[in-house]
Amino acid sequence: MEKGKEPVMDCPETRPIAPVVVRKSPASTIPVVLHVNGQEHRIKVRRQDRLSSVLRDALGLTGLKEGCLEGECGACTVLLDDMPVNACLVLAFQADARKITTVEGVENADGSLSPLQQAFLDRGAVQCGYCTPGMVMAAHGLLLQNPRPSESEIREGLGGNLCRCTGFQTIVEAVKTVAEL
Amino acid sequence: MNGRTGVARPRTVDEVTAATRGLDGRIAYVAGATDLIIAQDGIPWPDLVIDITQVAGFNTVEVSRGFIRIGAATTMTTLSNHKTIGTEMMALARAAAKVGSVQIRNRATIGGNIASAMPAGDLLPALHCLGARIGILRRDGLHETLGFEAVVVGRGETCLGNGDLITTIYLPRETPKRRISAFVKTGPREVLTIARLGVAASIRLNPKLNRVEDARVVAGALAPVPLRMHQVEATLRDREIGQPLADDFLFALSQAVDAAIPGRHSQPYKRRAITGLGLDLLQQLFNREFDIPSVQAEPA
Repeated sequence: MEKGKEPVMDCPETRPIAPVVVRKSPASTIPVVLHVNGQEHRIKVRRQDRLSSVLRDALGLTGLKEGCLEGECGACTVLLDDMPVNACLVLAFQADARKITTVEGVENADGSLSPLQQAFLDRGAVQCGYCTPGMVMAAHGLLLQNPRPSESEIREGLGGNLCRCTGFQTIVEAVKTVAEL
Repeated sequence: MNGRTGVARPRTVDEVTAATRGLDGRIAYVAGATDLIIAQDGIPWPDLVIDITQVAGFNTVEVSRGFIRIGAATTMTTLSNHKTIGTEMMALARAAAKVGSVQIRNRATIGGNIASAMPAGDLLPALHCLGARIGILRRDGLHETLGFEAVVVGRGETCLGNGDLITTIYLPRETPKRRISAFVKTGPREVLTIARLGVAASIRLNPKLNRVEDARVVAGALAPVPLRMHQVEATLRDREIGQPLADDFLFALSQAVDAAIPGRHSQPYKRRAITGLGLDLLQQLFNREFDIPSVQAEPA
């Protein structure tokens, strides 16, 4: 397509803007309501706070790990509205009023391990354990979206999580056993 | 600075404009925050952070007769799963599906990918080859729509001034089936990889679907901005689909690398890598296999 011959499209017209009042919070803290593992938490966060540090330090949910703090390792994976995210790359104030699930919220109601967690143990998919909460949450999120994933879909779903011990094979096998149930 | 600092969470475009009015300091718009959090680590934050994820229309994809309208805060996951984008704008759907990991794609947005303007930004070559136009809200409240090349102007550089905001991406629709696009990339890993090289192509076929009428081919991570490769396009334009077309196309891709990064340490790698990417690209476009040319072009 040559320059100057771009297709004409129906784009918004330039228009005047009426003054309005915007909800704003002081720079120091922002009140938020976090719905974590079915419990409501009313807390104040700073605008630069990462969701991972708020969950760990303010709410004591230390299952998730802050490994790389740049979205590489996946150890901080939690579900935000049932979708896996790197909690280290989510601003805590943006999680206001959203549903958050951490690894502490995956177990069965009676406190026993979920089938997915049990499969990790049965398959030897846990060694040092540092990556495990993130792996479990990435797999849990995958299975919520796609209950019968293929092996390649499992590998793709876990691609954002690094493990330095087990070599991934046992982790993929653990997820497969649950996917095949 | 007037003390109106902190965070704003506007719900309308009018509220966005009102939030910035009269503020002297630095303004940062944030959607998925996947880039912002890393960029701001250890340095002072902007005076005002404006979360645009709740602005009406910013999370939606609307398909109308002439174009697809994508809100700036639409996530990579939404783009890669969208039915019409997946059938008519395959280059964009594939590029979005190749960004980072599931976790990143659930947060990262199309507006952020453009505003960051990084050479390896996966959506950028796709948007360029699809003829995207970018809707911008200037800080004074005026709306403007610009072509892709007028928005992404350098490595990490855009036409956006402090307080200007990308609101919308418009993709022109053309006759389905005859307009085909594709995207390929390569990097150190299969998943969660920053592209060493990416190529997007968009072609229009003749009514019999056996000849290419028109083509746009754009490389990512080869230059500070997505690089439109006119000589590569010429090897596709007005040609019958077949091995001779593939031979000329792949040869021209290597030559385009030689011309873009002569003497760079990555030149020997990229001029070969782009041949493999080119084969994958042709396979996506034409849904058939092609052979690797027996004679490789030598570095210029």
